[in-house]
Amino acid sequence: MTDQIERDPITGTETTGHEWDGIKELNTPLPKWWLYTWLACIAWAAVWCFLYPSIPYGPSYWHGILGHTNRADVDREVHAVAVQRSAVMDKIGTMSFADIRADKGLAEAANTAGRITFANNCQPCHGAGGAGAIGYPALATGAWIWGGKLEDIQQTLIHGIRSGDPEARDSQMPRFGIDGVLKPEEIQHVADFVMTYYGTPRKDATPAELAAGAEIFANNCAACHGDKGQGGREFGAPRLASEVHLGGHTRQDVINQINNPHMGVMPYWNTRLDAATIKSLALYVHDLGGGE
Amino acid sequence: MNNETADRIVSWMMIPLGLLGLLIWARALDAEMYVFGLSLTLFSTAFGFAQIKRHYDDADLAGAHAAAHRGGQPRG
Amino acid sequence: MASPVMVNGVYPPVEYNEEVVRKFMIAAMFWAVIAFTVGVYLALELSWPEFNLGYSFTNFGRLRPVHTSAAIFAFGGSVLFGTAMHVVQRTCRARLFGGRVLADFIFWGYQFFIVMAALSYVMGFSKSREYAEPEWHIDLWLTLVWVLFAVVFVGTLMKRREPHIYVANWFYLAFILTVAMLHIVNNLAVPVSFYGSKSYSLFSGVQDAMIQWWYGHNAVGFFLTAGFLGMMYYFIPKAADRPIYSYRLSIVHFWSLIFLYIWAGPHHLLYTSLPDWTQTLGTAFSVMLWMPSWGGMINGLMTLSGAWDKLRTNPGLRFSVTAVGFYGMATFEGPVMSIASVNSLSHYTDWGIGHVHSGSLGWVAFISFGAMYYLIPVLWKRPEMYSVKLIAWHYWIATLGIVLYITSMWVAGIMEGLMWRAYDSYGFLQYSFVESVIAAHPFFVIRMGGGVCFLTGALMMAFNMFMTIRGPKPASISMPHGYALAGE
Repeated sequence: MTDQIERDPITGTETTGHEWDGIKELNTPLPKWWLYTWLACIAWAAVWCFLYPSIPYGPSYWHGILGHTNRADVDREVHAVAVQRSAVMDKIGTMSFADIRADKGLAEAANTAGRITFANNCQPCHGAGGAGAIGYPALATGAWIWGGKLEDIQQTLIHGIRSGDPEARDSQMPRFGIDGVLKPEEIQHVADFVMTYYGTPRKDATPAELAAGAEIFANNCAACHGDKGQGGREFGAPRLASEVHLGGHTRQDVINQINNPHMGVMPYWNTRLDAATIKSLALYVHDLGGGE
Repeated sequence: MNNETADRIVSWMMIPLGLLGLLIWARALDAEMYVFGLSLTLFSTAFGFAQIKRHYDDADLAGAHAAAHRGGQPRG
Repeated sequence: MASPVMVNGVYPPVEYNEEVVRKFMIAAMFWAVIAFTVGVYLALELSWPEFNLGYSFTNFGRLRPVHTSAAIFAFGGSVLFGTAMHVVQRTCRARLFGGRVLADFIFWGYQFFIVMAALSYVMGFSKSREYAEPEWHIDLWLTLVWVLFAVVFVGTLMKRREPHIYVANWFYLAFILTVAMLHIVNNLAVPVSFYGSKSYSLFSGVQDAMIQWWYGHNAVGFFLTAGFLGMMYYFIPKAADRPIYSYRLSIVHFWSLIFLYIWAGPHHLLYTSLPDWTQTLGTAFSVMLWMPSWGGMINGLMTLSGAWDKLRTNPGLRFSVTAVGFYGMATFEGPVMSIASVNSLSHYTDWGIGHVHSGSLGWVAFISFGAMYYLIPVLWKRPEMYSVKLIAWHYWIATLGIVLYITSMWVAGIMEGLMWRAYDSYGFLQYSFVESVIAAHPFFVIRMGGGVCFLTGALMMAFNMFMTIRGPKPASISMPHGYALAGE
């Protein structure tokens, strides 16, 4: 420990005379540029606080001379976008689907609106291009569950499926297995029969088993899914005689669905998207490849 | 307070900590608390024993040094 | 406590407690490798989500806090605890207050906290507060360890044999006291049961968010800045063998830094439901903070004047100096990002991730590596590290890693920000969110490459450290200036 003030030979600056474990300190004054830049920053901050809402006092605060609020900012931007959209969307909102399609400019606008709306809202479940996934219906194939006309799609978009909306599409498949409607071996038989609709029947299924399955199907399933497995849109019962299968492709998937059915939920969108956007979306989905 | 007193206080602290761990372990309502209680008990036990071992190792070493200075044989 | 008696005008040599410092250095190296490995794996998951593997405990959401906690608290914390205990003893010329067992308990208790926290994350338990994820019982344990650490540190300061307290210790003390306050207030919560881990925060709504980011921002300010500045103030002058550039600057920037940092948290919540006036103040304090941060940088860099040639021969010092450079860069970027119009572009994008890593890899990790390369030979009484060449390799590969990381995240972040706000001529969004993720994918892969470089460097360092410790201990070596008093 020294309390000796020395002169550093390299910089020519005096030390403070303190020393810790061999470390000394130079008595260099504050760098001028550093000090002035800092003062400038403080001045900038003061001006900023004068312009914008800043200092709180009692129950209120200094509102700033620019009258700025975040909410007004957002409102202004949202409004500007709404005005921009209204040029085409006002027309789309009031015109019929056929008229929109007939007008080339409007059809393009509706497609643009539909594409981005689909990509940000629908794609996470229904997949890019409406390819669908297990449990999430494919939209591009024409395997519609509730109907594939423009009006049907619009209805589904507005009110949803099993969504809690009073006008939502709703239906329920009975729990054949866990409620004891069918015995386990009956479920096996009917599953074997359904696999013939899927086009991938169990190879060693006997004709007797398939006949038993066909009878169980006729008595329990045909009322909704159709006597040829063609599906029933008034019940939202998926088509079984199809290459697209909502609940999975394997026999075990079929058994699981009969035993304890899984039924999907689609949200209602009328509180999140305006009518013209939903219309554009319906047109877009209809054009994905499966529209009727 | 000298260092030996501090050493003792920290070492003895392992007993209530270990018991607390046992209590939590025994009455845990979820997997996280179960693992925490069990680990706390193990930690306190291991730490306590390590300090006891360390104490006697140091004592042996000091004894050996003292013996070496006297020219005799190390003890223990 | 018996005060030491002077003999012939000097105090007898002090027997420093270096055992606990050595333990912390080994732990720091271990956790660095763990933290970087998990980080690389997360980068892999972000690039190819299949690597989530479908298990709950390998899910990104559970591994992410393991990475952040391992990097900040396990690696950074172990370096901070270890160097703080080393520096306070040396610059106070006093043995650690409280005895060997207490120091030992602080070491093992802190490691216990880290392991418990990491286990709780992978098991799916979290308080959902960023950088404060552990549930209440683990928080209480950390409080116990932290308070004891504070007692040891302050106790050592109080029994010092130097007339003044060295600037490094001011920073360490600010770090210890402020983090204690932040930790306790942010984690105030009501447990559902004494025997259950679930708890509810004492705060709600926007107050809760504000408390969290008051904590989060000052975890950066006092854990990752003040603590590591303390490290800088000791290890750069020691390694360069030069006096600190400016005592006045250290006083002014210390007090301005700790006064201004604590108010800047609201800049994490711009354009949220936080009141407008709070947001403006957050920006104002962040901008005023720029120069106080740079005061540390100036003092670190200018201390090198007259010793720049040492950078050629001492790659460990190169780490420390580069760290100060990255510190200056990150502390300029931070105030810029806190300005509302910039923030509206940068917030929620990968720019934020890049900013954080220019601070954590460039500043925190590099200053730690520099300190450790200096400290390891000192602690284990070796003339130098096993391979100086390997340090140089570590330096270059880690620097390359950082550059890859930061630049890829800048590009990805600015691109995301621009894509998210792009409207088409009809007034609809030009791009969907998914499209911005697809566009960022190449940069995620580059970022992973940067992470691999950084991890490779850390593995080199671990090997170097292992070989140094294992290597022969010379019978007599001349220690650097000031180590004449070193003793066990």
